[in-house]
Amino acid sequence: MITEQLFTLAWILVKILAILLPLVVVIAYTTFFERKVIGYMQVRIGPNRVGPRGFLQPWADVFKLLLKEIIVPSASNRFLFLLAPILALAPALAAWAVIPFDQQLVLANVNAGLLFLLAMTSLGVYGIVIAGWASNSKYAFLGALRSSAQIISYEIAMGIALIGVLMAAGSLNLTEIVMAQSGNLLSWYWLPLFPLFVVYWIAGVAETNRLPFDLAEGESEIVAGFHVEYAGGAFALFFLAEYANMILISVLTALLFFGGWLSPFQGIPVLEEAFAWVPGIAWLLLKSACFMFMYLWLRATFPRYRYDQVMRLGWKVFIPLTTFWIILVAVAVRLGVGPWF
Amino acid sequence: MVPLSHFLLLGAVLFSLGVAGIVLNRRNIIVLLMCVELMLLAVNTNFIAFSRYLDDVAGQIFVFFILTVAAAEAAIGLAILVLLFRNRGTIDVAVMDELKG
Amino acid sequence: MTGQALIFYTFAAVAIFSALMVITVQNAVRAVLFLVLAFVATAGVWLLMEAEFLAIILVLVYVGAVMVLFLFVVMMLDFTGATQKGPLRYLRPSMLLGVGLALGVVFLLFTVIGPKQFTIMDYPSPAARGADYNDVAHLGMVMYTDYVLAFIAAGCLLLVAMVAAISLAYRGHRAKRQRPSDQVKVKASDRIRLVKMSPGSRG
Repeated sequence: MITEQLFTLAWILVKILAILLPLVVVIAYTTFFERKVIGYMQVRIGPNRVGPRGFLQPWADVFKLLLKEIIVPSASNRFLFLLAPILALAPALAAWAVIPFDQQLVLANVNAGLLFLLAMTSLGVYGIVIAGWASNSKYAFLGALRSSAQIISYEIAMGIALIGVLMAAGSLNLTEIVMAQSGNLLSWYWLPLFPLFVVYWIAGVAETNRLPFDLAEGESEIVAGFHVEYAGGAFALFFLAEYANMILISVLTALLFFGGWLSPFQGIPVLEEAFAWVPGIAWLLLKSACFMFMYLWLRATFPRYRYDQVMRLGWKVFIPLTTFWIILVAVAVRLGVGPWF
Repeated sequence: MVPLSHFLLLGAVLFSLGVAGIVLNRRNIIVLLMCVELMLLAVNTNFIAFSRYLDDVAGQIFVFFILTVAAAEAAIGLAILVLLFRNRGTIDVAVMDELKG
Repeated sequence: MTGQALIFYTFAAVAIFSALMVITVQNAVRAVLFLVLAFVATAGVWLLMEAEFLAIILVLVYVGAVMVLFLFVVMMLDFTGATQKGPLRYLRPSMLLGVGLALGVVFLLFTVIGPKQFTIMDYPSPAARGADYNDVAHLGMVMYTDYVLAFIAAGCLLLVAMVAAISLAYRGHRAKRQRPSDQVKVKASDRIRLVKMSPGSRG
C-alpha cells in the first residue's frame, strides 16, 4: 500500500523531470538562437567562439551566471528580495503540468486545464512586483509598476480571446480542444478565430514583457526595470522564468489555434499517408518553434512602444475587438457554421 | 476523510480573525478592506464545505456570486480609497470626522 | 492520518497563520502578501472539497487580479500617516477588545456549529467522485438554468462597478499633445530668461 503510493509519487516526479529538464535545455538554446537570429537579421554573425559554431555558448552563460555572487542590496527587504525570483519561476513551470504534448502525453489531464493556465500565468506578476518593491530602488519599482499594470491589462484581452476558443471547442480541457480541431488545415481555429489569434499572440508577447512591449525592462529608460538589482543565480531565475513563459505562450498558441500535435497534412489524400510516420509531438514542437522565431523576429524589427500607447492598445483596441468577435462566435456556434462549430 | 466540523471550524477561525482585525486596526482603511475579504473567504469556505457534504451544487453557486460581489466591492473600495487619498492626503480612519450630523 | 487529512490540516494551518499575520504585521505590503498566502491556502482546501472550478477562480480572480490591485494601491500611495502603531508593542484597550471579540466569535461558532451539532454520524464523509466527474460542466448546467437571473444580475453589478470605478478615478483627458502652431510661434523670450547677477554673489 505505502510502497505503491511511493511508487506513484516517484513516477509523477519522473514525469515532471521529463518535462522540466528538456525545457531548461530548450531555454538555454533559445537564448543562443535568439542571439544568432538577431545577429543575422542585423548582418552580424552572433556568438561563434565557444564550441563548434558557438554551440556551447549557452552553457558558458549558465556557468557564468551560477558562479557569480548573488548581491543583496543592504537597504532591501532580504526575504522578499530572494523570494521574488522563485515566485516568478514557479508559476511559469507549474503551467506546464497541463500542457498535452500528444493525445496521451500529458502530466495532468485536468478538466479545467485552460482555467488553470490562466490562473498560473496571472500569478507570474507577483514575482515582478515583489522584486521591484523589495529591491528598494527607483528603477526597479518603476519597472514593477509598469509591468504589473501592463500584465493585468493584457490578461483581460488574453482571457477573452481564450473564451472564444473554449466556446468553439466546448471544453476547457486542452486535449479536447486540440481534438476538436481535427480535420484538416482549415479546420484549425486560426481561421474562424483569426482576430482572437492575433490578439492572443500580441497579448502573449505583452504578457511576457518582450519587445516591443518590454516597458518593464526598457534598458534605455529605466536601465533594466524590476531586475536591475539582481545578479548571479537570482537573475538567472528571472531569465529562466521569462523564457519559460515565452515557450509556454508559443506552445499554447500552437495548441489552441494551430491544431497542436495534429499533422498539417491531415485530410490531404497522398501527403497524409506520406507523413503518417511523424510523431505528433514533432508537429507541436515545429509549430511552437515558428512562434518562438516570431518572438525573436519582433524583437529584431520593432521599436519599443510608449507606455500610454501600450495601455491604449490593450484597453481600447484589443478588449472591444475580442468582445465583438466573441459575440460573432456565439452566433456561429448557435448556427453551427462550417466544420468548426 | 476530514469531518465536516473541522471545515466549519476553519471557517469560524478565519472569520473571527477578520473581525478581530477590524477592531485591532482601526486606522488604516486598506487593512479594514482586507479583513472584510478575509471574512468573505471564511463564509465561502463554509458554503463549499456544506455543498460538498450535502452534495448540493447550490452552495458553490452562492460562492460564485459572493466572489463576484466581493470583487466589485474591492474595485470600488480601492477606487474610493485612491480618491480619498488624493483629496485628503491620508487614509487614516481616525481623521475622517468631517461629516457632522 | 490519511493523506487527505494531512493536506487539509497543512493548508488550514497555513491559512490561519497567514490570516493572523494579516491582522498583526505593521507593514501594509506584508499584510497584502500574507492575505495572498491565505487565499492560496484556502484554494487548496477548496480543491480538497472537489470544488476545482471555484478554487481556480479564487486564484485567478482574487490572487491574480484583486490582490494585485491591493498591492498596487498600497505601493503607489504613501500610507506612512496611517501605518499601525505597533499593535503588538503597546497594549491598547482596542486590542483586548479585538482578541476578546475573536475568542467570543470562535466560542459562539464552536458551540453552535461545533462537532456536537455536525457529528460524523449525521454528516458522513461523501464518497470521492470519479475521474469523469466534471465540476465545471455541472456548475454551468445549474448556473445557466436555475440561477440564470442571478447570473445576469451579477453581470450587471460588475458593469455598474466598472463604470463607477472608472468615473471615480477619472481625472479628465490629460494626454500629451503637440501643437505645431504653438511650436512655430515660440520666441526666444518665451524660453529663456536672462538674470542679472552681481559678480560678488557667487558662492
